[in-house]
Formats: sequence, structure tokens, C-alpha cells
Amino acid sequence: MPSSRDPVFLTYALARAGYGPAPGDIDKAARQGWSGWVEEQLAPTADDPVLAPRLASTLLRIRHGGGDGWDAVDEMRPLERLGKPIEALWPLADGKRKMDGAERRRPRDEVVAATLLAAVHSRWQLKELITAFWHDHFNVDFYGSDTLAATLPVYDREVIRAHALGNFRQFLEAVATSAAMLTYLSNRSSRAGAANENYARELFELHTLGRDAYLNDRYDRWRAVPGALSGQPEGYIDQDVYEAARALTGWSLEDGAGIDGRRKLPESGRFAYVESWHDGYQKRVLATEFQPFAAAMADGRQVLDLVAAHPATARHLAGKLCQRLVGGRPPRLVAAAAAEWSRQAKAPDQIARVVRLILLSPEFAAARGAKVRRPLAVAAGFARAAGIDLLPTEGLVNAIAGAGQRLFGWPTPTGLPDEDSQFLGAQALRQRWALTLGLAENWWGCGNPTPPAAATFGQAVSAWQIMLLGAPDPEAGNAILAGLGWSADQSPGRPGMPDTARKLNRLAALTAMAPAFHQI
Amino acid sequence: MLSRRDLFRLSAGAAAFACPGLSKLAFAAAGRDPGLLILLHLRGGCDGLNLVSPAEDGDFIAARASDLRVAAEGTDAGFPLGNGFFLHAAAPGLAELYKQGHLAIVHAAGLAAGTRSHFVAIDMIDRGIADNAQLARATTGWLTRAGRGNAVSAATTPGGELLGAASALALPNLAGGVAPAGGPPVAAALERLYAGASGPFGTAGRQALESLAAIDRRLPRDATGKVTLETKAAYAGAGELATPLQTVAQLVRMEVGLTSATLDLGGWDTHENQAGRFRNQVVKLSAGLAALWEDLAPWHDRAVVVAWSEFGRRLRSNKSGGTDHGRGGVALVLGGKVAGGRVAGAWPTLAADRLDEGVDLAVANDIRAVLAEALTAVDGVPPPPAVFPGFAAQPLGLFRRS
Repeated sequence: MPSSRDPVFLTYALARAGYGPAPGDIDKAARQGWSGWVEEQLAPTADDPVLAPRLASTLLRIRHGGGDGWDAVDEMRPLERLGKPIEALWPLADGKRKMDGAERRRPRDEVVAATLLAAVHSRWQLKELITAFWHDHFNVDFYGSDTLAATLPVYDREVIRAHALGNFRQFLEAVATSAAMLTYLSNRSSRAGAANENYARELFELHTLGRDAYLNDRYDRWRAVPGALSGQPEGYIDQDVYEAARALTGWSLEDGAGIDGRRKLPESGRFAYVESWHDGYQKRVLATEFQPFAAAMADGRQVLDLVAAHPATARHLAGKLCQRLVGGRPPRLVAAAAAEWSRQAKAPDQIARVVRLILLSPEFAAARGAKVRRPLAVAAGFARAAGIDLLPTEGLVNAIAGAGQRLFGWPTPTGLPDEDSQFLGAQALRQRWALTLGLAENWWGCGNPTPPAAATFGQAVSAWQIMLLGAPDPEAGNAILAGLGWSADQSPGRPGMPDTARKLNRLAALTAMAPAFHQI
Repeated sequence: MLSRRDLFRLSAGAAAFACPGLSKLAFAAAGRDPGLLILLHLRGGCDGLNLVSPAEDGDFIAARASDLRVAAEGTDAGFPLGNGFFLHAAAPGLAELYKQGHLAIVHAAGLAAGTRSHFVAIDMIDRGIADNAQLARATTGWLTRAGRGNAVSAATTPGGELLGAASALALPNLAGGVAPAGGPPVAAALERLYAGASGPFGTAGRQALESLAAIDRRLPRDATGKVTLETKAAYAGAGELATPLQTVAQLVRMEVGLTSATLDLGGWDTHENQAGRFRNQVVKLSAGLAALWEDLAPWHDRAVVVAWSEFGRRLRSNKSGGTDHGRGGVALVLGGKVAGGRVAGAWPTLAADRLDEGVDLAVANDIRAVLAEALTAVDGVPPPPAVFPGFAAQPLGLFRRS
């Protein structure tokens, strides 16, 4: 097991538990030791002196043509939708209001920009990484419609970030009552009589128990599922999905829909429970009887209680967290994390406790190279290590998408898969390489790297390797210099000259194109 | 000039170096035209009953909202296919291919195993298995096992049918060229960096560099060096399917030794407000396949296109104006040797006692029968048992005996 203060170990550990080290991070983490770093990161405060001023001062371009009732716009505008409540954002999707689509989708684009800023600049790196994990887990395609685009700031702030290190049962209810999820998986239009099964199915299969617990091909009656007769079924079948969908009818949104001939819901985007849309009769979910005509929302809450507490949910989430943080699912660690998940089911910091167990495990320490960096992590990790004071731009967002990660735009409710093979397509690799070159050469107006002082190309490449990989790698350095046709003892030019910086930045990009930067 | 299959020889050689044992799978039988199999996944569960409706069936009319059925007559009437089936009115391109006899339709098609999960169903079909219990052990796709790993997926990642095929390339588009950015010095440095790299990332990087360079050299370009795709058909109307289809057609034209191609059209998971959304999807599907067929004219006798979906949808609509996950769906089979112009396979009817779990069109035709016949048509021989484990042939007669 590597020393918890070893710079190479810390370089990889910070890349798996965050977006990689920025200058100074390794020295600080070496003083803290690995467990000290983890404890500090698991108790984030509101204080973020590097990120906060950037969120406040960053201007993101908005550009659109004129139309019937509005003028053309091309301006740099602050991130002013980020902190807004749903009532202020929901009307942007209203087709009766005259405005360009770019204005309607601005809330989404601001969260994308803020996410890039936070990935690069936040001192709370672990929280950023876990936030991204939950956005994938509770995936919503915010490119799916203008309505969805308008809901992202609230979903990001009040649902995902508010619960990312908190309690899963509470998290689940925040998701289930969010404008984003109620719209994306269409529960808001589900009605007694012929319920919409979309959300209920993915609640079981993706959000909680997981597909390993879907036993429909083996059992077609609830009583037949092992454990059912003692109230502890091993898994679920379609009947559970159908009944859970009934239980969740009436969980809707103030979206202006008519309730009956006389009444209409307001149009605020806030959660609404509509009694007359709820199927009140008795139900059975996971071998548990639901009494008829329970109190408002009680049926839906009972479903959430059952799925949150199921042992399959603990295994599913423990496995996914290991996949993200460790790069695989070592059986002992998954079992230990699942046990901690269940033990801490009532704890307000249930998720943080499981994350701690994983990060401090021997499996985490031994897993160097077990994971391929995701495209956002390539961009953010490079920007951090190379000292780019990153300004988020549409060009960078599109470049990350080209490498395989359209932020907040994965179409299916699985979320962007976490398997390495997802990112190894030929075109995706080509664009991944272009991502570091484009950042190093500032193709997208995001800012310039801060090159190290170096008298020779050889010194420059090893300085970049220390910043990006934790240690020099002469073999890779020679390969880069030979490919570019530069020799190790040659001077890159006078310090501070544009041509010198250009050469040094190209070396940074190539250093980050090496497999060692991507396989963390 | 590279000869046919040279490109895939290159990457197959690299694969053999990294993963001994895969090299044999990466080749189609040498010395024989391997044909071309193109698979289009209608992702999300296409409502087969809305695409091809038994429009005059009393059970169907009683169960289905009228806006989720194809009309047999009137201003929005569909195309009559015979035997009481009608094709969606927004699919004139498919109707024409059907009339010409190039297109066959298999209704009530799907997985024999009872799953209504997208992701379980897709994984099982991709791996060619019918038993959920085999999933954990099935680590390769059926195209891979069929020796058709010299493939392109016009997507960010290779299709699941190609799982384990080291020579499968994921190339969503070709328009900007495919050489690494940064010009020859960066490409040279990358080649050196990846020459001896190990691990999945290093291996994938090396293969990508070789394949991309070989394809980039062969891309047609104008005098200024800009890539010019030699499209012979209009893909307008195909929406987001246009670029992937053009990518496949271009690679076919370039004769790089492709034996299969996979692509995706998402957007079929219509739990809500189905009628309008479904129509838009059908427009893209119909226009896209019609354009591809025109573009591939010189390859008609070699190529087979199969469009499939992981399942069909619920017979009765929900109160959101949509349909939930069901069982039997529709597969489309297009090719010069297809015995087309008919709806093939068994039809279980929509009588209450014939529905799956009382709610869905049952699966009467194993999706593997469709895939196996397509494979037999391009290979000339039926697939070995390992391609579709446990599958007993169920003749649909989708191809003419030649």
C-alpha cells in the first residue's frame, strides 16, 4: 500500500476523488495525509474563496437573432439565473411568452458554465465529484425540452447538491417531487385509472434496487418471489412497478393543467399533490399491503420508504459508488460499503459515511490506473494542473461533448455510463486528445496555461509531468519530444515570449495526451 | 492504394498483439464476399402497434385511442400492407420499399424472456441470449461471435452487438476528417506515446490512431483539403439519423473492409403525448432508410438492413396520452435479397386471452430469428450455435432462396 503522503499516490487519489490536483494541492494533501484530506472534504462549508468570486463575476455569452416580439442579442451576461427559485424559471418555458429559445434555455447553460467553474476552481473537490455522480444517477436530459432546461438550476441546487452527501431516503423524495424528474419521467401526467409507469419503473431499476433485483423473467406472481411471504422479497417484478405507479399517481406539478371542469393548477412549477388524480385503493408493493385511502402522499412515501430500505438498493448504490471512486467493484469493498449504507440508513450524513469508507479502504489505495478519466475530468483536470484560470465557454462545452460527455444532456435515464469502454471509441479518443490541445492553445477562449520556468525542453516536459502526473517520466517525455522534433537539451526560447509559451503549452497538451494522464 | 480489408487487417493485427484469441474473430472468412449487415436500433421501445397497425381489428380498435392507431381510411390513412395491417401514414419511403418488395416486416417480434426493462432487453438482444441468467457470463456481442467485428458504429461508442470486438470502430461522423488535431507533429508524438502502451486505454488509443489514420487517408477531399462526402441521396427529413447514415454509407463506398455497421435512433420511449412525437420519429426512420437504400444502390445484393427495437409498447394507452413498456414489437428487414412486400412471421392476435400478462401484444417471433436469417443471408450459411446460444431456428422465410 502506498504511503498516504506519496505525491504520485496523491496525484491519482485526487484525480479519482476530485478533478485532480491544482498547483499547491499535493503539498497541502501531503501535510494532511490522505485521511486528513478526506475528512476535510467530507465536511464542506459554504466558504469557497476561489470559486465564489468567479461565479459572481463570470460572464457567459448569449447570442440569438431577433424574432416576433424580441430583439437580436449578442452580449456577455452574468450567471443571473443560477440562484433563482422555480417560480422565476418555470415561466421561461411558456410558449405564450415571446422570447428566443436561447433565453428559455439560459438557466441550463448557466448551470453548465457553473459546473465547469466549480470543477476547476472549487476547493470542495470531493463534493463536486459526488454531485456529478448523483446527476448521473438521477439523470435528467436537460436538452430534452425547454421546460426541462428551465428546471436545472433548482434541481442542481435544491435536490442534487443539497443531498449529495446526505441521507438517501430524503434525497429520493426531493428527486421524486422535483419539477425536473416529474417532467422527465412524466409522473406529473400520471393519473388514476391508467397510471404512467415511466418514473416508477426507473425508480426501481435505476434509482434504487437496480436491475439485478428485477426478477420478472423468473416470477410472475408476487407471492412467488423468494422472501415475499415473510415481507422481504429478494427483488421486484412488473407487478411491483404497476402498483408503485398507482401509489405515485397525484404527485404532480403546478403546470397549469386542469384538475376538473372548474379548477386549474397554477403555473409555478412547484410540486403539487392532486388528490383527485391519486388512485386511492389498496395496493401491494414489495409484498407490503398498502391500506386503501391513506393520507395525502402516504402511498408514494411508503413506496420510497420500501425501496430506499431494500438491501438490493444498498448493494446497487455501493457498487455504483465504488465504480466511480475506485474504478471497479471489489467484492469485499462493495459488501462493506453496502453494510455501512444500511447501518446508516437514518443518518443525516449516510452518503458521506459510505464515501468515507470507500475512500479510506485499501482497495481505493491499490486501484491506481483502474479508471479512465471522464471527458469533463480530462478538461477540468488539465485546467487545474496547468494553472488555467478557466472561463467557461460554449466551445469548451461542445469539445467535452465531442469526447463523449454532453453535460446534463444524456438522453436515457441510465445517465452516462461509468464503464471505461464508454469513452474508448475512436472518434471519442480523437476528440479527447483535442480537448487538452485546445485548452493548452486556448482555442475556445477559456484562458492560457501557466507554463513552468524551464531552460530546456527536457526540463519543461518533466515539469509538466510532475504537475499533471505527479512524477517525471523520461520515456514518455522522449517520445513526445521525438514526435515533435524537439531535442531535450534545446532551449524553448526566451521566457515570456509568445512563441516560447506556445511551445511550452503544446508540451503540456502532449503530456496530458499520454495514457498515464487518462488511466487514473 | 490500400486493398479491401487492409484497414481492418491493420487493427486486427494490433488487437491480436494485445488480446490473443480475438484475432480470429476479427476476420470474416477470407476470400469470400462477406456482405454487409447494417443494424439500426430504434432505442426506447418503438410502439410497433402504432407503426404497423392491425387497423381493422376489433380488439385493437376497442383497446387503443384512435390517435395511437394507423387509420385504415380517411385523410390520414396509412399504407395498406395486406392481411389487415396498415403502415403509419408518415412512412411513405418505407411504403415504397415494401411495395417494391425490398422490405419485409416482422410483427410481434421481441425477446422470448419476459422483460419490460429497456436496459435488460437491450443487453440480452445485443448479446444474442434469451436467458437473463446468462447475462453475467455473456461478455461478447452476437456480431462479434459471428465474426463480423470489422465494423463501424456511427455513434460515440461501439454498439453492444460488437462487445469484445477489438476491431470495431466508433465513428459518429467523418465531416471534419478523422486525423488527430494538431497536424503531423502531434500525430507523430501520439504514435510514439501509444506505441508500447499497455492497458485498455493504451491499447484503445493505439488502435484508434491506426484506424483513424488509415480512414483519414482515404477520405475524399476537395482541392482545399476539405472532406467531401460523396452522398448519392438526400437525407433531408432523417433528422439526427442523417449524419450516422451518411457516415456508414461513406465507409461502405470507401471499401475499407466493413462487414457490419450499427446505428441508433433514440426517442421511441413515448410514455407521454405519443401521437405527435411518434409521427416525427416515423418521418425520420422512413426518410432515413429510404435515403440509405438509394445511397447504397450498388450494394443492394450484398447489404441487409435490420431495424429493431428492444420491445413494443402497452396495448392500452395510459392517461398521459402515451404507452408504457410492452412486449411484442416490430422489426424491419431491408435488402436486395429480401422476400419483401409482406408481414412475415406468426401473429398472435390481440384477443384478450392471447395477450402477454393480459396487457401486451405477445412475442410470437423471436428477434433472434430475424437476426439469424439476416446473418444467414449475408454469410451464405446459418450462424454457428455460439452466436445465438440455445436458439432453435424458427423459419420466417425473410429471404429469397437464390
